[in-house]
Amino acid sequence: MVHDEPGADAGLVRLAQVGDARAFEALVVKYQRRIARHVARYVRNSGDVEDVVQDTFIRAYRGLASFRGDSTFYSWLYRIATNCALSFLRRQPQDQLLGDDAPDERIRPFEPGVSDGEDPERTLMAGQIADAVQKGLGHLQPELVDALTLFEVEGKSYEEIGRMLGVPIGTVRSRIFRAREALARRLGPVLESQHRRRW
Amino acid sequence: MTIKVSLLLDGQLSFEETRAALDEVAARPELRDRFTVYGLVGDALRGLSVPDDGFSLRILERLRREGARVSPNYDPLAPD
Repeated sequence: MVHDEPGADAGLVRLAQVGDARAFEALVVKYQRRIARHVARYVRNSGDVEDVVQDTFIRAYRGLASFRGDSTFYSWLYRIATNCALSFLRRQPQDQLLGDDAPDERIRPFEPGVSDGEDPERTLMAGQIADAVQKGLGHLQPELVDALTLFEVEGKSYEEIGRMLGVPIGTVRSRIFRAREALARRLGPVLESQHRRRW
Repeated sequence: MTIKVSLLLDGQLSFEETRAALDEVAARPELRDRFTVYGLVGDALRGLSVPDDGFSLRILERLRREGARVSPNYDPLAPD
């Protein structure tokens, strides 16, 4: 679920449009996984997925001036990613796309958190992250879980969550932050074992 | 400050607040880490728990390597 207010990323996008590279970097960090999942519906190999995701963000960066904010930044990015994935597929030799023994595998369902089997360590870590977050939820106060899942999973805005839970928007901000912080602490030990090549 | 990172991730800050938060985040690696991990928490809740083993950095490195610039007349949605 994605937040559908066109202005959701307005501050970061406007800064990126006027040349603030840090703002675009933040948008890359924020959306790279979701775009990779989308691309992986079309492209089979994880290395190719990464190439297409890179193409997507490079095109998006070059074309930032054309983004008018009529849709969300994410939906704009999503459409660019679709074009990049289809363009990638058109460039592939037909026999590579439609292997003799596996003609139905050109477009495969994406397995969340699972690559195409090339990297078991990465797959293992994805499982550990999912476990840590799931278990962490069980230790949170219910009002924190509600605020975070309404935002992240149901795609509700802060205003909608405030109305649904009958609390001021400042409380929504605080609950989402406290939930994230608690889960981030639980993820700490899992992520410590990862190579430190994060943004 | 970490609540600002959470609000930055969610696009809940004004233009000026966003700029100020980015200044802080750029200056403090622990805040960049928080931004990344808060994003991962959200994606994990959506069933996307893939670790970022340098994926974002490789995108950013390619942007720099290719010297990508915002071009006024470039339409990223135009067919190839």
